[in-house]
Amino acid sequence: MPEVILDIKQLHKDYTGEVNYKALKGIDFQLNRNEFVAVMGPSGSGKTTFLNCISTIDRPTNGSITINKKNPYELSDDELAKFRRNELGFVFQDFNLVHTLTVEENILLPLTLDMVSSKEMATRLAGVVDFLGIKEIMKKRTFEISGGQKQRAAIARAVIHQPSLLLADEPTGNLDSKAVNSVMTLFQSIHDTFQTSLLMVTHDPYVASFAERVIFMQDGLLYNEIHRSENKKQFYQEIMDTLTFLGGGQQHEL
Amino acid sequence: MSFNHIVFQNIMRDKWTYISYFLSSVFSILVFFLFLITAFHPMMDTINPDSTLGITMIFCSFIVYIFSFVFIIYSMLAFLKKKTKSLGIFMISGASMKQLQKMVFRENMLIAITAIITAIVIGLIISPLFLMVVKNILQADSFGMYIPIQAIVMTLILFSILFLIVSRFTTRFIKKGEAIQLLKADVTQEKIIQPAPWKLILSILVTAILLLLFKVSPGIVESLAIFYYIIVFISLLFTIYFVLTQGILFATRRLQKSSSYYKKTNLLFVSNLQAKGNSHAHIIYLLSILLLAVFVCTSVLYSSYYNVEEDTEAVYPYSFQYISLPDNPVEQEQKDIDFMETTLNQETEGYKSYYSAFKTDEERRIGFMSNSNFNALGTQQTMILKDKEYYVVAGNEGTPPSSEAINDYLDERLQYTGLEENLILSTGLQEVYYIVPDDIYDTIDYPEYDVFAYEVDGWTEQLDVADTVEAQVTTEPDERLVTSKISLYDTEVFIKSIMFFIGFMLSLIFLSAAMSILYFYLQTSLEGEKEKYTGIRKIGLSIKEIRSVVTRELALLIFVPFSFAVILLFVVLFSIRDALSPVFFHMTAIGTGIFLLLFVLSFLIIRKAYLKKLVTE
Repeated sequence: MPEVILDIKQLHKDYTGEVNYKALKGIDFQLNRNEFVAVMGPSGSGKTTFLNCISTIDRPTNGSITINKKNPYELSDDELAKFRRNELGFVFQDFNLVHTLTVEENILLPLTLDMVSSKEMATRLAGVVDFLGIKEIMKKRTFEISGGQKQRAAIARAVIHQPSLLLADEPTGNLDSKAVNSVMTLFQSIHDTFQTSLLMVTHDPYVASFAERVIFMQDGLLYNEIHRSENKKQFYQEIMDTLTFLGGGQQHEL
Repeated sequence: MSFNHIVFQNIMRDKWTYISYFLSSVFSILVFFLFLITAFHPMMDTINPDSTLGITMIFCSFIVYIFSFVFIIYSMLAFLKKKTKSLGIFMISGASMKQLQKMVFRENMLIAITAIITAIVIGLIISPLFLMVVKNILQADSFGMYIPIQAIVMTLILFSILFLIVSRFTTRFIKKGEAIQLLKADVTQEKIIQPAPWKLILSILVTAILLLLFKVSPGIVESLAIFYYIIVFISLLFTIYFVLTQGILFATRRLQKSSSYYKKTNLLFVSNLQAKGNSHAHIIYLLSILLLAVFVCTSVLYSSYYNVEEDTEAVYPYSFQYISLPDNPVEQEQKDIDFMETTLNQETEGYKSYYSAFKTDEERRIGFMSNSNFNALGTQQTMILKDKEYYVVAGNEGTPPSSEAINDYLDERLQYTGLEENLILSTGLQEVYYIVPDDIYDTIDYPEYDVFAYEVDGWTEQLDVADTVEAQVTTEPDERLVTSKISLYDTEVFIKSIMFFIGFMLSLIFLSAAMSILYFYLQTSLEGEKEKYTGIRKIGLSIKEIRSVVTRELALLIFVPFSFAVILLFVVLFSIRDALSPVFFHMTAIGTGIFLLLFVLSFLIIRKAYLKKLVTE
């Protein structure tokens, strides 16, 4: 039995305001250590809310989330910050880099906040930079580099502290197809090399086909899940079929 | 990479955002510092022994200080809002709330320390020039440069405390909410103005009642004293706020209903106005208040400066006035009069002399003057009283005299014929003068004071003569009283020039703050606007059309506050029109015209720069 790194029980999220809206209506989900799972579903199905609740950036209304045997929403602010630094890495669709810092400074940000020694910083940085192949843009500012490079920088920031869980929200949403390929290959190799558990939200079946398991959401509930077989092409076709069934899919040439 | 490195880079790489705030801070601190340099000048004691000038200067620097407090709090909260998204990114990178607060605090303090040091250095560099200006205003011979250690230390300490408190205070305002709210801050919709008819009516009513109170029952106002003015001030601020926000809401609604709404770029302009209603209204409000402060500062202080000659004449009607009491030795009187007349003969182009007298009840300070003595004074129209008539003349400037007290002195009742509020002799000498026919005057049994009054041609220029006379002829209580409007005028002009000077500096601070707020607002909204217009251009909006929308929007932001402040200024001036001369209105109109010119110029410059950034980059 593989070790469970993320355990979600009866997760609810309601948005109250001028319009009350139930985004998540009770989700049970488990992610094993060193597993790569993609979350799919039509617009408005609650994918991003689901991820944000796990990311500790949006408090759930009900239910429990346990990451590495800890419930982040029971931690104090200081503990939560430390938890984010040690356990979690984030990659977003719009990159979320700090525009006043250079690429290198952005990547080092989590270590700086953790008061890591500069020697240690240099070693860890060198490892990540080599791996991601972003050496030449290290001194550049965020507006001087392309979308694909930005996402690489963001990924570098997310993995530099070797998180046990890497969360990605539409990481390829703002990228062209060439960059999509390289970023996804990168995720794949991070997953393989560092044994990082990965949870990724996407609406692109091609991107989802990199995962080992795809879960489908609809109207705030888990609808279905499919596991990858040996054949990636067949997996892609299965994803497509499910999506077509859900009504949110479209034809995509592989 | 250290924590401080991030703090430093956050500012250095975003310097254009902070520049206007930094400059206005420097400017405020600079003015504060310069005021203190003047107040603590070693020559101050000799120039101004009762130290009113020093106290005034210190008082004004504290107005600057308090204003800086408000301005800096406002700016820091605005910066915090702009930084919200970055703070969210820091948070998901694992920064704790404490670290975020520490970061923002250090950023603020870094700007603060730089601003204080810059201001003091600039202050030290320009202080010789500044002291030279002050020297000219004070007409002091020795007001040279000195090392203002006291002023430096005080500025350093007071502004460090100010920034420390404000930074500590504002960092508490970092949203305690979830990180998601911080991250999504840039896409969340702005609040639109909510209709608030009751608040509007209530605020107008309260202000109207308070202002009416001033007219109707001054007694209540007096009993509340400073408290009343604070309440009026606060209620005015609220009223202006509601009038502006509700006015903008009303205007956008009207425009949306009008038939031209769907013509050309109107749709874009009006919907933009509605969407950003709240933040636009806040900026317009802040600018209106600051501009009003600028205008009131300059014109009220200028008005006092302008009226000095008339004000002086109102209290001291003569160039020289010598009143000889019964106890004054005759030889002394003769000697003084001779000296005055010789001096005037020798040193002036020409003068008129008036000899008169009045009797007084010294206890109640009620004076009586014969009709012919009154006519001899020459300040008033000649008047001929019939038998059994009397006329009343005020003895104090600004307080209407009793017209009835005369009945306590005479056996027969006289007929009241009129009242003159302009003074015939120096203020405060008597409570009131009753002008009576000569034969009645002769029957009044009170000590008689002799009056020798001289009016010199071109008196405002005759300070030397006044000095000569006053050196020789001096007041001796119970014997003789000497007053001169020339020396009073000189003192008044001195005080008023300083007030004018201070008012000028203050209005510069308010103006710079207004500019800084506008700059920061445009700077922050630029990114979003750029994105919006790029989008709209794709569906076929020409640059010309963008220009028309932007022009109208900028014109609104700049000229609505301007017109609002000007209208309020003229309302204020109109309500106190009795105290002002017509010339003053003339001057205010010219002053407003100059400001208008300045604003049109800056509008054109801002528009050009803003459009360039919006369209090309």
